[in-house]
Amino acid sequence: MSDATVNPPATAEPVHDDTIPEGYDDTQDHIGLPHDTSTGLSNTKLAMWMFLGSECLLFGGLISTYMLYRNRQGDAVGPDQLWDIPFTSATSFVLLMSSLTMVLAVTSAQRRDERRARLWLVVTALLGGLFLSGQVYEFTVFYREGLGYTTSLFASSFYTLTGFHGVHVAVGIIMLLSLVAMLAKNRIVGDKAETIEMVGLYWHFVDVVWIVIFTLVYLIPA
Amino acid sequence: MQSASTFKNMSRRVRIGLAVGLAAVVAGCAQDAPQDTWDPAGRNAQMIHDLQWPVFAIAGVVGVIVLSVVAYVIVKFRDRGQAMPEQTHGKPALEIALTILPALILIGVAIPTVGTLMALNETDDTECVVNVTGQQWWWEIDYPAQDGCGEGISAPIVTSGQMIIPTDTNVLVRGTSRDVIHSWWIPRLNGKRDMVPGRVHTVRLQADEPGIYAGQCTEFCGLSHANMRMEVVALDPADFEAWKAKQLSEYEAPEPDTLAAAGEATYIAQCSRCHQVDGLEDAEGDPVIARPDLQVYSGAAPNLTWFMTRNTFAGATWDLLIPECRAAVWEAPPGEFGERYLEGVPEDCLNSVDLREWLRNAPAKKPMYADPEQLEETDGLVRGMPNLALSEDQIDELVAYLLDRQ
Amino acid sequence: MAIIERPSSTPTATTEYVTPSASMGFLRRPVETSGWKSWAFTVDHKKIGIMYGVVAMLFFFVGGLEAVLIRAQLAQADGTILSADKYNQMFTMHATTMIFLFVMPMAAAFANYMIPLQIGARDVAFPRLNALSLWTFVFGGIFLNTSWVLGGAADGGWFMYAPNSSVPFSPTNGVDFWVLGLLITGIASQVGAINLIVTCLNMRAPGMSLMRMPIFTWMAMVVQFLLLFAIPVITVALFLLMFQRNFDATFFSVEEGADPLLWQHLFWIFGHPEVYIIVLPAFGIISEVLPTFARKPLFGYPFVVFSGAAIGFVGFGVWAHHMFAAGLGPISVAVFSVATMAIAVPTGVKIINWTLTLWGGKLWFTTAMLFAIGLIVQFTIGGLSGVTHAVAPSDTQQTDTYYIVAHFHYVIFGGAVLGLFAGIYYWWPKVFGKMLNENWGRANFWFMIIGMNLTFGPMHIIGLQGQPRRMYVWTENRAGEGFFNLGFWNLVSTVGTVILAIGALLFLVNVWVSRKNPPAPEDPWDARSLEWLTTSPPKEHNFDRTPTVHALDEFFHRKYEDVGENGQHDFKKVATAEELLAEEEANADAHIHLPSPSYWPIVLAFSMPVLAYGIIYSTLLIIVGAAIAILALFGWALEPPTAPEDDFDPPSPTDGGEPSKELVTSV
Repeated sequence: MSDATVNPPATAEPVHDDTIPEGYDDTQDHIGLPHDTSTGLSNTKLAMWMFLGSECLLFGGLISTYMLYRNRQGDAVGPDQLWDIPFTSATSFVLLMSSLTMVLAVTSAQRRDERRARLWLVVTALLGGLFLSGQVYEFTVFYREGLGYTTSLFASSFYTLTGFHGVHVAVGIIMLLSLVAMLAKNRIVGDKAETIEMVGLYWHFVDVVWIVIFTLVYLIPA
Repeated sequence: MQSASTFKNMSRRVRIGLAVGLAAVVAGCAQDAPQDTWDPAGRNAQMIHDLQWPVFAIAGVVGVIVLSVVAYVIVKFRDRGQAMPEQTHGKPALEIALTILPALILIGVAIPTVGTLMALNETDDTECVVNVTGQQWWWEIDYPAQDGCGEGISAPIVTSGQMIIPTDTNVLVRGTSRDVIHSWWIPRLNGKRDMVPGRVHTVRLQADEPGIYAGQCTEFCGLSHANMRMEVVALDPADFEAWKAKQLSEYEAPEPDTLAAAGEATYIAQCSRCHQVDGLEDAEGDPVIARPDLQVYSGAAPNLTWFMTRNTFAGATWDLLIPECRAAVWEAPPGEFGERYLEGVPEDCLNSVDLREWLRNAPAKKPMYADPEQLEETDGLVRGMPNLALSEDQIDELVAYLLDRQ
Repeated sequence: MAIIERPSSTPTATTEYVTPSASMGFLRRPVETSGWKSWAFTVDHKKIGIMYGVVAMLFFFVGGLEAVLIRAQLAQADGTILSADKYNQMFTMHATTMIFLFVMPMAAAFANYMIPLQIGARDVAFPRLNALSLWTFVFGGIFLNTSWVLGGAADGGWFMYAPNSSVPFSPTNGVDFWVLGLLITGIASQVGAINLIVTCLNMRAPGMSLMRMPIFTWMAMVVQFLLLFAIPVITVALFLLMFQRNFDATFFSVEEGADPLLWQHLFWIFGHPEVYIIVLPAFGIISEVLPTFARKPLFGYPFVVFSGAAIGFVGFGVWAHHMFAAGLGPISVAVFSVATMAIAVPTGVKIINWTLTLWGGKLWFTTAMLFAIGLIVQFTIGGLSGVTHAVAPSDTQQTDTYYIVAHFHYVIFGGAVLGLFAGIYYWWPKVFGKMLNENWGRANFWFMIIGMNLTFGPMHIIGLQGQPRRMYVWTENRAGEGFFNLGFWNLVSTVGTVILAIGALLFLVNVWVSRKNPPAPEDPWDARSLEWLTTSPPKEHNFDRTPTVHALDEFFHRKYEDVGENGQHDFKKVATAEELLAEEEANADAHIHLPSPSYWPIVLAFSMPVLAYGIIYSTLLIIVGAAIAILALFGWALEPPTAPEDDFDPPSPTDGGEPSKELVTSV
C-alpha cells in the first residue's frame, strides 16, 4: 500500500517532463486563460477561430451557388444593368474602415484605455450600420429596377448570398453595441481586451468575406 | 470472468456459422433473375462484369485472410492464464509494408477501372440513337428519324415502357426527365444512368441475342417509384425491320358497328385528351391531337398508337399477357423470341383483369396523385392518371378498341 | 465561457459582478443539486452525456421500429402492410432517425462524457454551450418526429434529392419538418464541435501532448473537425431548400434554369464526411477497448492517429462517389473513383492495427470485447463491399440497389453501432457505478450479430441480382426462379430483423436486471487511460487534483512499473486503482470551482422549434420564437459562468481540507 495515503506529501512532486509548462503548480487550476491552455490561445479565442473556419465553408457553399447561377437571369435584369460599382465601392470602403476602427478599439483595450475602446467600438458599429444602410438602399434600387427575390436564379442566389452576409454584419453590430453596454456596466467576465479582440476577429472575418463577395459578384464580369 | 467453455463453444459456433454462411452464399442465388447484374447479355454489361468479378475475388481473398487471422488470433491468444503480454507499441516497418501492399493492389484495380470507364463512355461507335424521357411514373421512348438503327428510321416513333432495339447494335440512349430525377437501368445490358430534368445523359446499350431484358427506375422518384419499370426488347435485324414497319404504318380504324368502333368513340371522348393515337380522326374527320400538357403536371402521357404491340402497361408495371402467354414470350429461346414477341397480344392472351382494373380506377391500382381535392400544389394538374369513373360498358368498349391497336 | 478558477481569498467589499437576480429582476440561477431540475439545467458534461445517451437510445428504438415495419412490408411480394406513401415516409425517417438522432448523438454522449475525463479536465471548455447542444438535439429530434402526426413525415429519402423535394412533388409539410429539424440538430452538432475542439486542444492535463492523448479523444476530435466543416455545407443546402419551399425561390426549379445536381453536390460534400463522422467514434472506442482486454497497448498508436486524420481529410475529397450514375462525365467519375480507392488504405490500416493489437495478447472476452471484435469482422466485410463500389463502372450496377443497402448497413451497424455498444458495455460501470450482467450481455451480442448478418447479408445477393432500393413492393416477376430466389432472401432478411430486434431488446433487459447490482469497482477492467482514475461514477468535479501526465496510457503506467533489465521489459503491478485514487484524494485541491447550472441553454434551445413551427405555420410563432431566442442570448451573455454564493439554496458546508463543490464568490 502506498505511503501516500498515510502521509500525503506537503507539495506536489517535482516534475521532469519537458511537456509540462514551466512553473506549473498542481494545486491551482487556471483553466481557460491563455497562459494555461495547451495551445496558448484562450478558450474563447480558439473557439472563435474554429467558428470562423466553419463559416468559411458556409460562405463557400453560398458563393458556389451564386457562381453557378450568376448567368441565369433569364429575360429579367442582370448584373450588367444593375451594378453601380462606384456606390458599392464606397460602401465596401466604409466596411473596410470599420475594420480599422475595430483594430483601434482592440489596441485601446489592450492599453487598458476603456473609454477609448468603447468609443472606437461605437464608431465601428456606426460604420457597419452605414454599410448596411448602403446595402438596403442598393437593394431597394435593384428591386425597383425589377430584381425581386424570386425573379430569377441569379436574383435568388444574389440576395441569399448578400443577405446572409448582411445578417452576419447585423449580428456583428448587435454584438458590438452589446459589448459597449456591458463594458460600461462592468458586466464582462474575464479579460476585457480578449473579449473585444474575439469580437474583432468576427468583425474582420465578416469584412474579408465581403471583400471576396465584392470581387466575385461585382467586379468580375459575368 | 472469462469462460473458457464459452470460448470453445464460440469457436465451434463460429465455424458452423461460417460454413452455413458460405454454403448459403454459394447455393443461394436466384436462377434467371431478370435483372441479375452477374448475368450480362451485352457488350457493356460484359465489360463491367469482366472488371467486377476479379475485384470481388480480390476482396473475397482479402476478406478471408483478414477473417482467418482474426479467428486465429482469438483462439490462439485467449486468456489461458499466461503472463502479461509483451507491451508492443507497434512495428513501423510492418505497418508501412501493410499500408503499401493494399495501396499497390488498389492501383492495380484503378487502372482497368479507368480504362473500362472510358470505354463505357464512348459514343463514336453509335449505330442507333433512342431517346428516353422519364416522367412520374412511366418511361417515354422515342426514336428520332435517323439513318442508323438497322436500315434507318424514316419518321419519329413514339412509344413507352418497352424499348425495341436490333441485336448486336450499339444503341445510344439519350435520356432526360420531365419532372424529378429518374434512372434508367437495364442490368443485363449496362449500368444505370440518372435521367435528370434539364440535362441529357447518355448510356450505351447493346444486346447480343434476341430477348427481353428487364429494368426498373433506380432513383427514388416519389410515390410510385416501385411501379416504374421498363424492358428492352432485342430483335434480330429482320424482326426489327418488321417492328419498325408496324410502328410507322397507317392508322386503321376499327370495323364499323363493332365493339371496337364504339371503343374508338369512347376513346376520343375519354382518353384522347391525354393519350395520343396517331392517325385517329374524330367524327368530322379532323385529327385528334392529345393535349396532356393541359391535364398532367409533367406534361405528357403514354402514346397508345400501337399499344398492343408491347406487352406491358402502366409504367411496365403490369403485363398485358396472361401468365402462360407471358412465359411463352419471356422464356422463348433466342431463335423463336422475335416471332413470339411480334405476335403482340392475341385476344386469348390478353390479361383483361389488370387492364380493366386500371381503366376502372387507375389511382386505386397504382398510387398516384390524381385526387382532384389535393392538387393545389400542382395548379390542379394531375401527376399520374386520374380516375375517369368509366362504366363497365365503356371499359368493355375501350378494351376492344385497345386490343385493336396492333 | 470557460470555467474560471480563482484562488480563494476574502471577497472584497466591491464585488465586480452583479448577481443575475438583481440585474434581470426576476430570475435567480437554478442551483438544485438533485431532482429533475438538476438535470434540466445542468452544465455538467457527465449528466449531459448521460442524457444524450438515453435520448439517443430512445431514438434507436424508434428507428428500429421503422426498420421492422419496412422489412415486414418486404417479407413477401406485393406486400400490403404499408401503403406506398407510408413506406416512403418510413424509409426516409428510419435513415434520418438512425443517423441524426441515434448514431451521432450517441457518439456525442461518449465524447461529452469521456473527453474531459480522458484528458484530465473537470468539464468541457464551454459548459453552457454543451447544455445548449444537448437540448437543441432533444428538441430538434422531437420536432422532427411530430411530423408523423402533423400531415405526414418527410418522404423523399434521407438525402432528399431535388427536384423531388420541392413543393409540387412533395406537397405535405413533411419535407419542411425534415429541413428545419436538421437545421436545428445541425446547430447542436456545430456548437458541440467548437466546444469539444477547444476542449481537446486547450484543456489537456499538463504533460499530455497530442501524441499522449487517448485514442478515443483523438478520433472524437477528428470527428469534431469533420462536423465543423461539413455541417455548414448541408446548412447551405437546407437553407436553399427551405427558401425554395417556403419563399418561392427557384434554386432547384428546372423550368427556371436550375441544375438539380447542385443539391446533390452540396448534400454529399456534407454527406461523405458524415459517414466518417458516424464511424470514427466507434473506431476510437474499440481502439480503447481492444488494448484493455488484450492487456497490451494499441498497436501503432501514431498510425491509428494519422490514419484517422487522413480519413477525415481525404473524406472531403470523395463526395461524388455517391453520384457515379448521376451524369458527371467520365473524367470526374474517374478522379473520384481513384480517390475513393485511396481512402480505403487508411481504413484498412486500422483493421491491421486492431488485429495486431490482439496478436500476442491475453484476450479477455467480456461483452465489450465481443462487440469490439465483432466490429473488426463486420466492418471488414462492409469495407470490402465498399471497395467494390469504388470501381465506378461496377458501382453503376450496384448503386441504388440492395447491394449498397447491404454495404452501408454493414459499415454503419457493423461498424458504428457495434462500436457504440462496445463503449456502452465498457464504460457502463464507470458511468453508472454498476456492472452490466455479462451473460445477458453475451446474449445481447450474439442475437445482434446473428440478426445483423441474417438481415444484411442476403441484401448483397438481392442487390446484385437486381432488386433496387426504396421500393415499397417487389414482384415475383423480377424475383427469379428457384428456391433461393429473391423472395427467399427477402424473407430471410425479415427474419433476421426480428432476431436483431430481440438483440436490441436484450440490451434493455440487461439494463433492467443489472439495476440492482452491487457497486462496481473503480477499475473493473484493469484499464489504461485516465478516465479510470476516478470513482465509479466519477465525482462531480472528476479529479480531486488535476493529474500530471508522463506517458500515453498514463493510468496504466501508474499501476504498472517496468522492472525489466537489459532492454527486456517486465511490467509489475505496483499500485491498484483504489490506492492511486486514495492518493489523489489525499492530495485534493482545496477549492474546486465548477461552472453553475443555467436556464439559458434550455430556453434558447426551446426557441428553435418554436421558430421552426412558425416558419411552417404562422408568422406570429416566428416572432415569439425570435423573442425567446434574443431574451435567452442576452440572459446568457449577462450571466457569469459561475453563480455567486448567495444564489445557493441551501448553502452546503465548506470543509478546509476537503475538496469542496462549494462555489466561492468570484473576485
